Amino acid sequence: METLSHTENISLLLSIGLMLISARLFGEFFRKFKMPLVVGELIAGVVLGPSLLGAFAPKVSEYIYTHNDHASLALNGITNISIIMLLFVAGMELNLSLIRQQGKAAFSTSMFGLIIPLGLGFVTAYYAYEWYGRNSTDKVVFALFMGTSMAISALPVIARTLIDLNLFKTKIGSIIITAAMFNDLIGWILFSMIMGMLKGSANHSVVLTLLYTVAYAILMLTAGRFFINKSLPWAQRNFSWPGGFLSLSLGLAFLGAAFTEFIGLHAIFGAFIIGIAVGDSVLVTEKTKDIVSQFVTNIFAPLFFVSIGFKVNFIANFDLQICAVVLVVAVIGKISGAFIGAKIGGLSNKESLAIGFGMNARGAMEIILATLALQAKLIGEELYVAIVIMAVITSIMAGPMMNWLIKTKGNAEPSSTN
Amino acid sequence: MQSKVTTFQKIAVAVAFSPRCEAIIAEARQLQQAFHSQMIFIHVGKKSMQEEQYLKHLLHRFQLDQPNNEVIWREGDPVETILEICQTQNVDLLVAGALEKETLLKYFLGGISRQLSRKVKCSMLMLTEPNIHPGGFKHLVVEGTDHPKTENTISVAVELAKAFQSNTLSIIQESDLSKLALIRSDDFKENEADEHKETLLKEEDEKLEEILRCTDCGELAINTERIEGKPGYVISKFAREKSADLLVVNSPDKTMNLLDRVFPHDIEYALADLPCNLLIIHPKNAD
Repeated sequence: METLSHTENISLLLSIGLMLISARLFGEFFRKFKMPLVVGELIAGVVLGPSLLGAFAPKVSEYIYTHNDHASLALNGITNISIIMLLFVAGMELNLSLIRQQGKAAFSTSMFGLIIPLGLGFVTAYYAYEWYGRNSTDKVVFALFMGTSMAISALPVIARTLIDLNLFKTKIGSIIITAAMFNDLIGWILFSMIMGMLKGSANHSVVLTLLYTVAYAILMLTAGRFFINKSLPWAQRNFSWPGGFLSLSLGLAFLGAAFTEFIGLHAIFGAFIIGIAVGDSVLVTEKTKDIVSQFVTNIFAPLFFVSIGFKVNFIANFDLQICAVVLVVAVIGKISGAFIGAKIGGLSNKESLAIGFGMNARGAMEIILATLALQAKLIGEELYVAIVIMAVITSIMAGPMMNWLIKTKGNAEPSSTN
Repeated sequence: MQSKVTTFQKIAVAVAFSPRCEAIIAEARQLQQAFHSQMIFIHVGKKSMQEEQYLKHLLHRFQLDQPNNEVIWREGDPVETILEICQTQNVDLLVAGALEKETLLKYFLGGISRQLSRKVKCSMLMLTEPNIHPGGFKHLVVEGTDHPKTENTISVAVELAKAFQSNTLSIIQESDLSKLALIRSDDFKENEADEHKETLLKEEDEKLEEILRCTDCGELAINTERIEGKPGYVISKFAREKSADLLVVNSPDKTMNLLDRVFPHDIEYALADLPCNLLIIHPKNAD
């Protein structure tokens, strides 16, 4: 087996160390301005990568990340694993019973908050294809991706915003969380189908891809979940806990990822669905979940997000027109969709608009989605940069806009049963 | 046994002529004495002379053959018929026997008792171990979740505990941290995330304290406890561990269907494996 040489080992370890520390430093700096950690992590990559350091001191930048083929390959493997783990954690955060129990307002907000941005994203990408720059020539798949990327939301960013505004346990907060969970669930299923369709031409038909996606999701969320629920008490009795859970759950996530990759779907989908199945178990406490989440989000997520800055030159690929198009379509689609849904659900204009801005936050999930699309050559670097900027702007604007609309902090209607 | 209470003015009993029929009638008699209720005995099925005689005998034996009590014989779908009678007769409490656990297939298809519990628009008592010599309900476990129905549920449970001179009444606040878990510490400083969670839980504690302040608990010893976990599962587990003889919970907000059994939540955890007798409280003004 080929192994890394002495220098390559040093290079890899140096890269990981610098990436983690710079991600934390930038993350903490941006957190002071009430921005998600992910913004700082991305900017750390931009600063250390070809966009800034690479422009002024290319040799230093190259030494950190790309001077060595083998070390770069190893780092690339680690970041790929990071995406799978991130999606596993995202799956664990989804609460199926919460989605099942959603009331009329949450349901209509979910549906319209999904369908309108998805439709608007699809239509603009299909009929005004050139607005989005140079991307995949498969217009249908590209348009489907744009629709999905407009429909997704970022639960952790939304939760943080709701906490800051003292809205977490209000009716509005409850609707936003439930609707965002539903949108994420459908969004990732759709994205997995799109990635399958992209591979489909080589492996199997589109219909078969759809069939595999739905069959895998149903099987894992019923029989798989049943099996996990039955096995966990045994594991809890016989293994050290929560260490045992950490290895078992992540092991299952990788197996699921390998399986979906094998049947022609994307690996992330396997991990995402396993995350939902594991996270839904009554035997897994939030404390245990938090350990997995901490492990992934503080070690692997920064590596992934910093590496994005290394891979793409954000300055050279910045295109104002594409950025504007993406931002306008994303904001109009999501806010109008959630607004209409919330209005149908019986909320006031201001409350509905606040829900729209809350759900408009895209955060890290959008960036992961775009990175995977970039890796699959579905989108070009200019559009990728535009999507990342949109994700950051929508996350930043959510808090102040909701605050402005609700104003009376702490006086929002408390959550009931929706 | 103390008397008073207008909580359950009209009690309906689903009679199935099973081996536990006699014990269920005995338990019904005890409830009737506690609440001075009007009783309705419902049997869905063909009326046979033998069954009619047997029921008459039982009602006479337990002194339930008073003129204001009623026996209804109907043919048709047992669940729909009982639901219809409960609605037209303005029944406050439906009493039925229930197995602790049903086979997997029966659970998913839905046995009569469980189907009733998911659909009925009045309170329902599911008796898992009815006794011909009822001992009353000595150890009650009551849902104390932050929910608009909880105040009424606690109030009914307290009345019941007072009527049966229960020894303990435990109110369980189930902390569903699944939503709170979204407040991960990634975006917070040390202890900041925990502080946010504590603030949110403190609000729930204060609401419960207010409910208890407004409830006439008399001499009854009430203890409250907060347990982290999935609502429905946690309280059910607690009731089993403490060998409670009655678990009192809020009625579901919506009619439960098959999907709620596939992706269980709240009361479905208890229905999957009843830890003890189960009383589902449905507020009168809920519909």
